[in-house]
This record gives sequence, C-alpha cells and structure tokens, in this order.
Amino acid sequence: MVSTVSMAVDLGGIKMRNPLNTASGTFGNGVQFEGFYDVGATLGAITCKGVAAEPWDGNPAPRLAELPSAIMNSVGLQNPGVEGFVERYGTYLAGLREKGCQVICQIAGHSLDEYRRATELFEELAPFASGFEVNISCPNIAAGGAAMGATPNAAAEVMSAVRPLTDRPVIVKMAPHDVAEIGRALEAAGADALSLINTIPGMAIDVHTRRSRVARPTAGVSGPAIHAIAVRMVWECAQAVRIPLCGIGGVASGTDAAEMILAGATAVSVGTANLYDPTCVPRILSELEQWAAEQGVSDINELIGAFEC
Amino acid sequence: MGTDQASQHTFTVELNEPAAEGVYRMRIRSSVAHAMRPGQFMNLAVPGDASHVLRIPLSFSRIDSKGGSVELLYALVGEGTRRLSQMAVGDTSTVVGPCGNGWSLPSGEGRALLVAGGIGLPPILACARMLAQERIGFDVVVGARTGSMVVLPDSDEVLHYGGVQLPENGWEGGYDPDRIVTLTTDDGTLGSVPGKKMFATDGMADLLRRRSYAQVYTCGPTPMMAAVARIALDHDIPCQVSMERLMGCGFGACSCCNVALAKGGYALCCQDGPVFDARELAW
Repeated sequence: MVSTVSMAVDLGGIKMRNPLNTASGTFGNGVQFEGFYDVGATLGAITCKGVAAEPWDGNPAPRLAELPSAIMNSVGLQNPGVEGFVERYGTYLAGLREKGCQVICQIAGHSLDEYRRATELFEELAPFASGFEVNISCPNIAAGGAAMGATPNAAAEVMSAVRPLTDRPVIVKMAPHDVAEIGRALEAAGADALSLINTIPGMAIDVHTRRSRVARPTAGVSGPAIHAIAVRMVWECAQAVRIPLCGIGGVASGTDAAEMILAGATAVSVGTANLYDPTCVPRILSELEQWAAEQGVSDINELIGAFEC
Repeated sequence: MGTDQASQHTFTVELNEPAAEGVYRMRIRSSVAHAMRPGQFMNLAVPGDASHVLRIPLSFSRIDSKGGSVELLYALVGEGTRRLSQMAVGDTSTVVGPCGNGWSLPSGEGRALLVAGGIGLPPILACARMLAQERIGFDVVVGARTGSMVVLPDSDEVLHYGGVQLPENGWEGGYDPDRIVTLTTDDGTLGSVPGKKMFATDGMADLLRRRSYAQVYTCGPTPMMAAVARIALDHDIPCQVSMERLMGCGFGACSCCNVALAKGGYALCCQDGPVFDARELAW
C-alpha cells in the first residue's frame, strides 16, 4: 500500500522521515539487522548503544532472565568507548545517514565529568551523528546512570553540563518515575526532546538457590509487559512539557506505536521486540501507516497527543 | 572465523520425537540449511504462547544443505523447549540464522579428540561430520548422566555407536576403522566399560594415555568443558569449546550473553562464539 499520509516528524530538530526509532541497547548499532531488512531505507532514526568516553566491560554473566511477556537485563552498558565505537561503526552509520536514516548516538557516564568528556569526543569524532541521547537512567550501573536522573536537580545538572558542548539536538533518556517533574527540569535545562521510558528496575529470584536470576540483585524489565506503564508515563510527561517526546516501552505492533503517538509521543522506539522478532520494524511501520490512513489524517503529526479523555 | 549475517527463515517440522529421556530429535525443512556451518546455531520461534517472548537457540547435529533440512537434538529444560516438543509434523514457524561462528578445522596435523557431555552432543556430531568429510581422523567421548539419557544415533551416523550390542573395547565404526568412540555415564548404567561410573573426562584421560591428538573439541556443561579444556591445555593440545548462554537475540544486538575473557572483559557468546579457543576464556 502506498501511504497517502505524510509520516515525517521532527524530534527536537532531528528530522525523521517516519516516527520509528530503535531503543538503545536493543538494536546493536544497526548493522546486525541488515540481514533482516534494509535498515537505512526503513527507519526514521536509529539510537545506537550507549557509549562512554572510555570502554566499559559491563556486568558479569548472567545478564538476562525471561519473564512473562518481558525480559530483564543487566548488561551494564558494555561499550568500546567513543573512539572504539567510531572506529567500528562510523562508516556504517555515515552510510545510514546517506540513506535518509537519522543516527542518534547515546552518551553514557558515571559522573558529570564523564558525560562531558564523552560528549566532547562524540562532537569531535562523530560527524555522522544527527543528535545525541543522554542516558541518565540506566538501572544497571553502580554509579551514574539512574542515579544521575533520580531527581529533577540531578537530571538538569547533567543536561546543563552537556548542553554547551554541542549544537546538535540533545535528547534525554528518562527513568520511569516522576516523569512530569523531571521532564520540566530537563526542558528548562535545554533538552531538545525527551525519550521515555528506560527499563523498569525489577527483581527475579531463583527460590531454590535464593539468588538473583541475573548477576546483580536488580535488573531492568522491558518488553510487552511494561507497555501500558510506558504509555501512561508518556502521557503524563506530554502534559508537563512542550518539547517533543520519543515513546519507548514494549512496542511490538503498529497499535502499540499508535498508542504512544496518541499519548503524546512524536517518535516511537522499538526495543525488546527487535530481539525476538528482528523483522518487526517494517511491519510496525506499515501497520502504523495503515492506522494513520484509517484515522483520515493527511499528516501523522495531527495524531500526536490526540488521545481523548 | 567471522560471523555470517543472520536473517529470518521459515521452517516446517518434518520430524519431532523423543530420542532419549528428556531429549528430542527434530528435523526441520528450511532455507536456513543452505547457510549454516558446523558449530553455528539457529534461534527458533515457538508459536502458541505470546507471553514467552524469547526464541530458543539450538545448535544442530546434522545438516543437509542440498536437501534443505536440519536435524536438531534438544533437551526439555523449560517451558519453551516443552512447547517446542509439542510442535507437530507440518507445523511452521520462523528461525533466525546462521548465528555465531562455527568450528575451525585443526590447525595442526594429527587426530582430533571430541568430547561431548549431555545435551552438548549435537554440535559435536556436526563437528564429527565436518572432520569425516575432510578425512581427518578423530576419536569421540560421549558422556551422559545416566544410560536412559544417552542419545542413540541413527544407523547411518558417522560415529556409529548405535545400540548397546557393542564391542567391549569401545564403540567403533563409521569411515574410520581406527576410530575409538567411548561412552561414559556418571552412574555406570551404560558405557564402554560396563558398570563403571565414569565422567567424560575419565574417558578423555584414557584416550590421551593411548593416543596423541592435535586438537580437542568439546561441548557440554560448563564444569565439564572447564575440566576438558584444562586437561587439553595441560597436554599442550589446542581446545575449541562451544559455550552456552541464555540469549536475548542470538545475533549481537543486545549484549546479554557475555562470556568472561582471560584477558579481562567479555565477549558475546552469540556473536564472538559460541565456539571459542579455550585459552581465550576465563574459566
């Protein structure tokens, strides 16, 4: 079906040809999906795996447990550092840009200084980046991560540290709590857009061994089970801020993506579904287009926040 | 060996039946068969329960790349494999593959020694076929917890250790009359030395006293592989190990299946493995 609906959206200055993005950490850096479909010709944007100034080993094994309609992971942002990342993936990611797919690089850090250094390195080494996503919400690292995004002040401090270092759009990846209050603080600190939600901290205990099913006591829950929670938080945040949102959480169908858009998301990231259904993005995109057409609009932007209550 | 690009294929079940206690043998017809190398794995979706989101990663024991069929042996370890065992002949689903790298041929001249433990058997059978095709001599140790869990191969199996009516000195056959196939069970209920409680590593140590080897290949429970690797490296024999991890994707997207490296840091089992040089891993 040739779409009659304009699907292009603007995520805080990142011009996407359609609203579909990928959730960081669930999509490798795109190249792993080239055997499934043409990534650069399909997605509006990809968000790369979180990268810090220096390489991180990540957490010990096991990092994964399966839950009903969900998984929990404790990867802990294993990454090769900005230089290693650019060396390995720079050429591929530049190619995605040429095909019209925006490339969002995710910045990780343990401290304000580390966020600054990673941003500076990206700014210098990654001309292919359309914009950045600052991860202040990883539940799986001991310092930084979610701790940096736990309060409005702490979150704004990270945003204020990064803001002067780049003119490219900056998105902040938010933790799944107090999204209205923290969203307002991030908007005031200069964020161009917000993405939410990150995984929800959870626990899974092996009752026979009395130990965690992953190597740390807690880990991040994702997948279809958290979708309704994510939609609610996107809606709450959308009431509180004027900057655009990228909705993330358990999106596995066009209907799921449409819910995010109605709740107030400008863009929608597909996460965990990429892992178990690696061809899902083209399907979700066509389902989303079909839904927009059925809604009788000529532009998908007319449906952002069009939830009626 | 580099990682091949995984893609999604449909599959049709051609056979799915018990092979031993808690073990099923499944044959699928799928275009993925054209792309797989011995030691690689594939990630199967089991239809019928949307609440179990993850696929099931399985290595294969035999492949017919011309005919387009793949034979799998899998243990019933959880709800996913239990539902896989209920797929009927003619049922269809999808499979992602090829995943990971495969076995490498021995770097030096000489015989290879293959050590399989429990449900580590399928990639060892695939390895045996690879070596037989290359006319590389090899001996095999197959270990299981107990006799009822031993998978008896088909009549045309390369290893040809089928059945319990076997020569006392070990199970021999296939293309190589010199081949020694040793079966061990932890409880001694079945084995090449009748009644003797033996681990696969005991069978391995016995063969190492009788013959010299250029390469060891192993797959099985992690403690067994750690012991096999240690014995091999003590004898200065290179050892390839096929690791197992719970996997999110199977093709390098999620970084959930990490394996600790001797030099520090982690590799990903799905992308950098599942076959590793034993010296590279932190045991």
